[in-house]
This record gives sequence, C-alpha cells and structure tokens, in this order.
Amino acid sequence: MRWRRGPTALLATLIVGVSPSAPAQDLPSGPLVFGAGRVTVGGEASATFSCASTADDACSDDTGFFNYSDYERSTLRGTRFDLTASVKASGHVWVLADLRVENGRRPTPYALYARIRPWERRPFDIQVGRIPPTFGSFSRRTYANDNFLIGYPLAYQYLTSLRPDALPANADELLRMRGRGWLSSFSVGNQTPDRGLPIANVFRWDTGVQVHIATRLVDAAASATTGSLGNPLVGDDNAGRQVAGRAALHPSPGLIVGGSISRGPFVARTAGAAGGVSLDTRRYTQTAVGVDAEYSRQHYLVRLEAIASWWTLPALGSPSLAEPLGAVATSIEGRYKIHPRWYAGARFDRLGFSTITGTTHADSWDAPVTRIEVGGGYSVQRNLHLKMTFQHNTRDGGRVRTLDLGAVQILFWF
Amino acid sequence: MRRLAILGLGVLVPLHVGGTVSPREWLQPAAYAIAPLPAAGTARAAGFIPRHPARRSAGEQGRGGLATGVRPGVVRGRVDLRRPPVLPDRRPNVPQLGAPAAPGVTDLVRSVVYLETAPRGAFDQNDPARAVLDQRNETFVPHVLAITTGTTVDFPNSDRIYHNVFSFSKTRTFDLGRYAAGRSKSVRFDRPGIVRVFCEIHSHMNAFILVFNHPFFALTDREGRYRIENVPPGSYTVVAWNEGIASASRSVVVPEGGTTEIDFVLR
Repeated sequence: MRWRRGPTALLATLIVGVSPSAPAQDLPSGPLVFGAGRVTVGGEASATFSCASTADDACSDDTGFFNYSDYERSTLRGTRFDLTASVKASGHVWVLADLRVENGRRPTPYALYARIRPWERRPFDIQVGRIPPTFGSFSRRTYANDNFLIGYPLAYQYLTSLRPDALPANADELLRMRGRGWLSSFSVGNQTPDRGLPIANVFRWDTGVQVHIATRLVDAAASATTGSLGNPLVGDDNAGRQVAGRAALHPSPGLIVGGSISRGPFVARTAGAAGGVSLDTRRYTQTAVGVDAEYSRQHYLVRLEAIASWWTLPALGSPSLAEPLGAVATSIEGRYKIHPRWYAGARFDRLGFSTITGTTHADSWDAPVTRIEVGGGYSVQRNLHLKMTFQHNTRDGGRVRTLDLGAVQILFWF
Repeated sequence: MRRLAILGLGVLVPLHVGGTVSPREWLQPAAYAIAPLPAAGTARAAGFIPRHPARRSAGEQGRGGLATGVRPGVVRGRVDLRRPPVLPDRRPNVPQLGAPAAPGVTDLVRSVVYLETAPRGAFDQNDPARAVLDQRNETFVPHVLAITTGTTVDFPNSDRIYHNVFSFSKTRTFDLGRYAAGRSKSVRFDRPGIVRVFCEIHSHMNAFILVFNHPFFALTDREGRYRIENVPPGSYTVVAWNEGIASASRSVVVPEGGTTEIDFVLR
C-alpha cells in the first residue's frame, strides 16, 4: 500500500523524456554485444501507475488488492528493470540470467540457468538452474513487452488464501479467508499473516532441470523442480519434487495449441510440524492442468487459456477438508493493430473455486473473481511504448467487491 | 542575367521537373520546392534530357537519357570498411524453453554510393518499378535495398513461420501484419529517405531501404566495389553510406565519356 517517491520520480522522468522534442533516437535499439560476440546483454525497464476510483479518493491505490502479487507489491504500481544476459560458454553451453530490480529494491536473480545443447544441430536443450516455467502459455510472457495490456491474467497473479507454510485447521477457517489472499492467516503453522498463493506464480521462477525438444510440428518440454506451480522455490521446503510437462502444437503458422500439466507437493515441512501432527508433506500436492491456444493473422491476435488446479490439504479438524480444493481460471485476450503505431487490446478473466462445507454453510473456498481489462498502446519508437488500460474487477466476497482502475505504463527495451 | 533566370526557374519549378537533391532534402522532402540551382556543368548544362525508364539505378538503366552525341560518364571506386559492422544480435531469450533456431547470415558489408546532387532530368516521373525484400531464415534478404521513388517493394515470406514487417520511419510508416509462407505484401515508396524495416515478432530482423529520387546510386559488391553508370558529364558530390553511417561528401567531375574514380573509407 505504500507508495514511494522513487518510482514516482522515475516515472515522471521517463514521461518527460518522451516529449516530442526529444524523440529518444539516441537510446540503444538492440542488445549490447561484447566479448567477441559471446556476451549479449538486453534489458527492459517499465514504470506503471494506476488509480482506483473510490468514494474517499479520486486516485487511490488498489484497495481490493486485486492486482497485488504480495502485501506490498501491486502489479499496477511500480517500476521494474530487468537486465538479461546470455553468455556463450562454448558451442554447446550458454548461461542465461535475468537480474531484476523492482521498485528500487535490492536486485534479485529472477533467472539464472545453464542451457546445454548436446547436439549442435538438433533442437534438443537441457536447462539447469532457476529455469523458465514449463507450465502454461502466459508464464513466459510476463515481461511488459510481451504483455499487450498492463495487468496479468488472474491465474498467474491473483492470490488465493492458500499458503504453503500455514494450514487451515478446518473448513470454517478456510471460509473465513475468502477474498483475503493478499494477507491470509491460519492457525496451523506460521500464524503471521502473509500473502497466499496464486495458481501459477510468475513472480519467481522455480529451480530444477528442464528438457526441451522442438520439431516442425511440436514443441515439448518437461521439468523437475523443487517448488510447486504456485510456489516456485530456490531451496526445497518439503523434500518433494514438482514434475511438469508441456506440449505445443503448431499445425499452421498462425495457430498454436498447447497443453500443460504439473504436480508437486506444496505444503512446507514446517507447516505440518508446527501443527503437532506428523505429516508426509509429499502427499499434499498441487496438481494443475492447462490448455491454451493462440491464433493470429494480419493485424489481430487472439489467445485463450484455461487452467484447472487442485490442492490436497491434510484433514486436521472438523468440518474437514478431505476433498481436494479446486480452482478454474479462464482468460481470453485479443489485440488488434489499428495503425502501425497504435493497437487496442482486451482481456476477459474469470477465476472460480470449488465448494466446501463449513459448520453453518457451504460456499466456494475462496471468492470468485472476474476481471475485464481493455486498453491500448502506442509505439513512440520500436522499443519505446506507452500503454493505457482500464480494469474492472468484481469479487464475490472480501471487503472490497468491486473496483475500477485506470493504469498507464511506459516501457523501454533493448 | 542568364544565371538569374535559371536561378528563378530553379526556385519555382516543382521537384518533378527539375532541381538537385542534397542529403538534407533527402530527409526533408518539403525542401524540394526550393531546390538549389544545379551547378554549372551539371546535367542540364550538359544537355541531359529526361527519359522514362523504370526507376532503377543509373547503372541498370543503360545508356538512355542523354542528348545525341553526349556520352555519359562513370563514377566508380571502392568503399573500405575499417571495422566490419556488427549485426544487432538476438536479445537474450531468457524466458524460452530452448535455444531458438539460428537466423540466416546477414550481408552487412554492402554499402551504397550515391550522387548527392543529381541532374535535373533525373527527377522526371518514371514508370513504376518493383523490388523484393524477402524474409528468409529470420533474415531480411537483401539487408540493404536501394530504390528510386515510386518503386513498389514486395515483402514475401519465405519462412514457415509468421513474420510481421513494419517501419516507423518518417519516410514511410507501415505495418504489413502477419502472413504465412508463400504470401507476399507490398509497399510503395513515394518519398526519398531512409526506411528502417523490422519484424515485430523477431526483434533481431532488420533491414534498410534507401529511397532516392534519382537513379545515380549503386550498391557495392562484397569487395566494396561500386560503379555508377550513365552519369551526365558535370560536377557532383558523392557520398558513401553503410549501416546508417554516411561519409563526408566528396566532389568529383565527370568528363564526357570518361570515368572518375573515387574511393571511400568508412567506420
């Protein structure tokens, strides 16, 4: 909820820098290459600002936490700088990295992995380290330049009330947290309120091994990692491994049809131990299945993605959570280029949850959310873009049930 | 008095009936209406008579366009690149599941040499010409295309994947959208200038289209040699260009039926 002066100043500087009298022609237009071509460095900088219209304030923050990725970070307010690098160690090995700075905080290694191509001419790669997500379609399009709107699809950003380090003692406790994923708390495990998990977390990448093969018709990848889809990790917290797979079919140049699956334990060892019960945390898993499609032609592009996820939780108390908790997220988005420099885009999102039965009533275990985002973008130059969107959020629960937001973003990449 | 009369003509006549082109005018077509007077000894004085070929470089046009008995000259030479230009590499593809296919080889050593000022008749309306900028192995082929105004450029897609050709250049802004292998779209270039062409899907793909409103230019071969033919006798300035860098103007005198040699060093 805090808004710092640093990002505001940076945003203002960027906007002023884009005045017509200073057409950023001197900015780098491509990646920097040095070390005899072995090192390639690229980057992306974005600044985003949003206003929500509420009864108290004409330009308030996202008071419903619809767009937060944790308690302090809104995806619609802040600055982000990614410095990406590819170092060619040999003809078969590359090291790839992404150092990310968000809102002026400490740089974090968003990605750091080795890419090994055993046979130079065969499109088969092994990636080891903090690797890109295997699951889903949007998961690898989270850079601002790849997202033609400003917000994220709900499946990849919206925080459910589930936590890896804290467990609801019973169904009533879980129902009390409906619509409060941004600051969720349960009685078993870590009792400090903290953010919940999205279905698929794209704000951190997981750590492990990934294999990928490409043919003329199919792209396929499989991975084994330490975390889970909603909780990617660097260090393991439950002695379990997530396995994930994805296959994408390219029947024609403009059409991609993909399917993804993942399964991995998500409950941390500490959560079970703190509850005083002996839990084999490997039994409590998140399982997800996703389908996606993309079709583009001429000046339009349409994408569709649906993800279903199930979490199994230990049945600690009554009324129990014996059945897996389900969630289904669907999103459809489209973009149309009106002019070489202008485009319009829209996304419709829906996130629903399965029903559980508490002591007094039955309800979905988290509050269903619907989001519509419409907007457009303008290219000042090839790698300098302005975006503006309007977002309408509704939620069947929680303190704030409806929220409208307007957002602007400036983005530069090289 | 004669000089004044010619000056008046040079100031008032619109571009298509005469005038010379300086590099500034290249980029600012509005300046053509006040195009400077051709220097003594330029095409008009040498008896250049407009003709109407397709808009190709003078070397490709053959020997037309001169009054009977006036033999054109040749400007030739070599452009040496001190340091070979480096192609902007593909951005680090960190979020990808594997290494992308290697793009084709881009020919960066070819330069363009052109007359900075051109004879009056060079601006006469010509028949429309066509040129091709192919998209092959995630590369624009050729990397540099030099054409005259009025030329229509075809952009066929010879890859199995989509491309999306676009340009934000002031000379010509366009976006061809996505189209599949075997399909082609076209753009007509009516204003002189430099057009940078990109692919929206593959950020490493780029090309240059240099649009001239006269045919006196030539692309160098891989050894840097060039040859501008059918140049009416007269005094000119010549410029060499490579990957966005232009040399200083060099003055040359092209004698009737003679050859003038001039070399450049760039970068």
